Amino acid sequence: MKILIAEDDLTSRTILQATLSKWGYEVIATTDGKEAWAVFQEIDAPQLAMIDWMMPGMDGPTLCRKLREQKRKDTLYLILLTSKDNREDIVMGLEAGADEYISKPYDNGELRARVNAGRRMITLQNELREREKLQGVLEMAGAICHELNQPLQTVSGFSELLLMDMETGSPNYETLKKIKAGIKRIGDLTHKIMRITRYQSKPYLNESKIIDIEKASRYEEKGE
Amino acid sequence: MDEKKILMVEDEQPIRDMYSQAFSNAGYLVKTAKSAEDAIKILENERYWVMFLDLNLPEMNGIDLCRKIRREYPMAICYAVTGYASLFELNDCREAGFEDYFTKPVNLSDLLNTAAHAFTKIERWKKR
Repeated sequence: MKILIAEDDLTSRTILQATLSKWGYEVIATTDGKEAWAVFQEIDAPQLAMIDWMMPGMDGPTLCRKLREQKRKDTLYLILLTSKDNREDIVMGLEAGADEYISKPYDNGELRARVNAGRRMITLQNELREREKLQGVLEMAGAICHELNQPLQTVSGFSELLLMDMETGSPNYETLKKIKAGIKRIGDLTHKIMRITRYQSKPYLNESKIIDIEKASRYEEKGE
Repeated sequence: MDEKKILMVEDEQPIRDMYSQAFSNAGYLVKTAKSAEDAIKILENERYWVMFLDLNLPEMNGIDLCRKIRREYPMAICYAVTGYASLFELNDCREAGFEDYFTKPVNLSDLLNTAAHAFTKIERWKKR
C-alpha cells in the first residue's frame, strides 16, 4: 500500500521513509504541505498519509482540512505527526480532519500499530466501496435478465411450437432448430447471471470481486 | 375425467398467446388471465385444478396469488413461472404452496410434461 509522508525536516523524513519502506509500504515522500497536496490531486493518489504538523507554506492541519473539503471519493487516512501534545492542539488537529495523531518523539511499535490500523481501515472501506459498486452492477444485470427472459420466452415457445408442426429433417426444421439452440444459449446465460445476483445478495459474502460468470454462478448448495 | 382445464396467469400478451396455442394443441382447455385480480375473478365462476402463475405480476404478485388460491382451493396444483429468479427464492415459492418453479425461458415440452403429470395426479386423487 502507498503511503505519503509530508515532512520538512530531512532527518525525520529520511528515517520515517526508511522505516515505512522496511515495513513494506510504497513511500512517497514530500517536503511540505503544498507538495503533498499536489500528490493527492494525482490519479491513484495514496490513501494513507503521515503529515507533519509544522511545515512551511501549508501546515498539517490546513492540509487535512483542505483534503476533507474536497469531498473525495477515495477514503483517506491521515495521521498527524506532532510535538504538540496538549489536549487543545490534539482536538484542533482531529477537528481539522486528521484521523489519528502521533506525538514526537514516537516509538516505532506505536507508529507501526497506528499505521497498520489506518491500512486496515482503508482496506475495509475500499472493499465496501467495491462491493457496493458490484452490487449495483449486479442489480442492473438482474433487471436486464428479467426483461430479456420475457421476450425470450415468447420466441422460445413459438419456435418450439413451429418445430412440433414441421417435418423432421426439412431445411426449415434444421434452421429453426439452430434458432432454438441460440435462444437456449441466451437463456442459459441469463440464468447464470441471475444466479450471481442471488449469490451476491447473501449477507455473508466474503469475496469482493466476482467477474467470472461461470465460476460465480455455480449452483450454491444451501439448507432450506 | 372432466375436461383438462388449465389457467395461465401472465401479464404479457405474446406469452399468453403462445401458452394458449401450445396447451390447446396439446388438448387442454386453456384460459388466460393478465393479472392476479383477473385470475381471482375467473376462479370465482369456474373451477381450475392446474395453474401456471407468473410471479412478477402488476399488482398482487404470484406468490400472494398462490397463497390465496391454495387457501380457498387446497387441491389446486400451482406452478410458478418467473423471468426474475432473484425476486423470490425457491423456498418462498414452496411455502406459498407452489408445486414447482420454472425460470423463463422454459421449454414448452417441460411445461406440457408438467401439466400431464399434474392431471395424472388429480385423476388418482379423484379415484380415492
